[in-house]
Amino acid sequence: MSPTNWILLSVFVLPLITFIPRVGLLAVIKTYRAAKEREHIEDALKHLLDREQQGRHASPVSIAGTLDLPLGKATQLIEHMETQELLETRGNELHLTTKGERWALHVVRAHRLWERFLADEARMPLERVHNEAQRREHSLTESQLDELDAAMGHPTRDPHGDPIPTREGTLPKVEGTPITAWQAERPARIVHLEDEPALAYQQILAVGLRLGQVIRVLEKTQNRYLLSDGETVYKLAPAVAANVHVAALPESEMLKREAVPLVELAHDQRGEIVMLDEAVQGFTRRRFLDLGLTPGTVIYPELQNFFGDPRAYRIRGTLIALRKDQAAQIWVKPV
Amino acid sequence: MSTELQPKDVLAKAEALRNSLSSGFRDEIVKSLYSEAESIAKRAVKTADNKRYDFDQKIDRLVTSPITGLPIMLLLLTIIIWLTVTGANVASNAIAVVLFAVGDFGRNLFTQIGAPWWLTGFIWDGVYLGLAWVISVMLPPMMIFFPAFTFLEDLGYLPRVAFNLDWMFKKTGAHGKQSLTMAMGFGCNAAGVIATRVIDSPRERLIAILTNNFVPCNGRFPTLIMLATVFVAAAFPPALTSFVAAGTVVGVVLIGVGFTFLASWILSRTVLKGEASAFTLELPPYRRPNVSRILYTSIIDRTIFVLWRAMQTAAPAGAIIWIMANVPIGDTNLARAVADWLNPLGLLLGLDGVILLAYIIAIPANEIVVPTMMMVYMGAGMMVNGPSSNEAIFDLLVNGNGWTMLTAINLMLFALLHNPCATTIMTIYKETKSLKWATLSVVMTLGTAFLVTFLTASVARLLGWV
Repeated sequence: MSPTNWILLSVFVLPLITFIPRVGLLAVIKTYRAAKEREHIEDALKHLLDREQQGRHASPVSIAGTLDLPLGKATQLIEHMETQELLETRGNELHLTTKGERWALHVVRAHRLWERFLADEARMPLERVHNEAQRREHSLTESQLDELDAAMGHPTRDPHGDPIPTREGTLPKVEGTPITAWQAERPARIVHLEDEPALAYQQILAVGLRLGQVIRVLEKTQNRYLLSDGETVYKLAPAVAANVHVAALPESEMLKREAVPLVELAHDQRGEIVMLDEAVQGFTRRRFLDLGLTPGTVIYPELQNFFGDPRAYRIRGTLIALRKDQAAQIWVKPV
Repeated sequence: MSTELQPKDVLAKAEALRNSLSSGFRDEIVKSLYSEAESIAKRAVKTADNKRYDFDQKIDRLVTSPITGLPIMLLLLTIIIWLTVTGANVASNAIAVVLFAVGDFGRNLFTQIGAPWWLTGFIWDGVYLGLAWVISVMLPPMMIFFPAFTFLEDLGYLPRVAFNLDWMFKKTGAHGKQSLTMAMGFGCNAAGVIATRVIDSPRERLIAILTNNFVPCNGRFPTLIMLATVFVAAAFPPALTSFVAAGTVVGVVLIGVGFTFLASWILSRTVLKGEASAFTLELPPYRRPNVSRILYTSIIDRTIFVLWRAMQTAAPAGAIIWIMANVPIGDTNLARAVADWLNPLGLLLGLDGVILLAYIIAIPANEIVVPTMMMVYMGAGMMVNGPSSNEAIFDLLVNGNGWTMLTAINLMLFALLHNPCATTIMTIYKETKSLKWATLSVVMTLGTAFLVTFLTASVARLLGWV
């Protein structure tokens, strides 16, 4: 083609790809900017909610820090959110309005449901789940989120054990007992650390106790409590220990203590299924149950692959191949 | 005082009760179903002896053992492909003779009753020739390949292949059963895409669908075999010719398998990383193959189904090809003009304009790529077989149209990697119900084809080989 033809073609084509509604360049840029703005607002809301749950308040500086924005931009964002009635400024403190809190809880719900989905259905390693959920949490409407929730069977906790807010925006209350009222000797899981008074809370964190830890009371006197997680011993004053709330271990943790993973069974060694690991959820768990991997069933490795993985197991008269990582999540009792 | 019970009250009640369920209630439900089924089975089913079971175990140990497993697998695959290639050759020629005779008869009839030349040409040299070509090349291999493959499937052997090869696929994030859908792809990529239904995990299934095209189907084999014979094998002594040609084709297939793994690895770590996934593989007991079922599945479900879809796209393609060859532009025709226009891009990729044109108008079916190329090279008005001897083909392409060894090699690579045919794209869309995945399957393969041919052409030119 001659240069004139090329010029004519560009004169015709360039405006076309720029201005076409919805798919043109301009429209794409506009959509992108709207999405970016929503992301900023939602991240700021999450930060505010987070701070409020810790009993502190956010400030323009803390928002700028968390969102990685220059202070000027952050102030602009705050003003914009104020006109939308998402937050109120009181002096230097920022407070969520009711509308803002609701939206913030929606984002938290989206984040935790996505984490659940990625961990259960996509079998993504746990350490990568958070970042991926961070990216996806801004894209769903409330009704799409309800669908996701229902499709996964209304989970109550994310893979890290944090509660998922309900549709109405309430967080399920954690049922815990202060460790001072707990029977000694029975192992228990820390389900809540009371953050008021702040002094006691800081002391608890200082000795190194964390949410989700499994502990046991070693000694209980008038002056002190000795707690152990099997490796470290933690020392607390009784008044402080009362702020550590615990709950009974799930039954599964107790069962696991006497079982071995299926992958460790030797060739032709019979085992009785005790349970499927808690970490197996969603699609894989449904498949396992469909195949008849239910507690009490006898299973044994029958066929070895020449590269060691997968192995085929005989169960209920059929032969089923499982990969190593999956067989590691089925707990059996050798019989 | 009873109030009417509203559906929304029931839902609200269920919503409230749901929170009090223990986390394992689903497991409990399944467990109770299974124990119920077990007690019924115990009453109704009597197990006689374990002879069959022991026999199954013996075979299983044989086909999955390190020493005998792999050779058995390769042997079976070789037998099937050998049967298909040699058997199809004979049948293809026979069908072609009959169909082309019918074409001649029709053309004569039209001429005799005084139909205008363009009507005769459009119908008999365009639409009908396109159909006849696709049927004669496509039908015989499918009639042999699919029953043979279905036989192994019905026997219960195929899941063992998936079991043996899974370790390789696991590394790339794919499923062992992908080995089966790839094998099916040798017969036809559209059938291979349909066969991915056996993969129950959504992510691994998408990987298998999107990468299936990297396995050359029997529509592309004739191209590969022709190039391997005319160009690569011609450089060796005559005694080695068929051996070298076969080795070259196997090499191309292995390159395709390499690209399948590479693409699987990349896909599972990028666009597909958030899709649902799980691995389970049932190894059913061996069965005596059921001949009528094999014939039904392979002929009706696979062959006729695929052929019908191919015919729907081949007829319009035949028409377009004829029009392009017969619309005059200056002192040449439309096809030649477009090929000249495409030539710079073609040369950049180590191909030429005619090859690109043939691929564009032959998107509907790979079988007609070579006839279309020959048509343009020879200046014919309809698709032609080309010269009858290998030497004459070599002469036409190299001396007449400036081909080099690079053109031949890049055409083989392009034939291996380029976008799926229209039938396969349509099947991908129907199987995934998503425009996004169908588009990706085209963009990914075409991008790979352009990139690879451009790289080999550039390297060859830089090193002064061409």
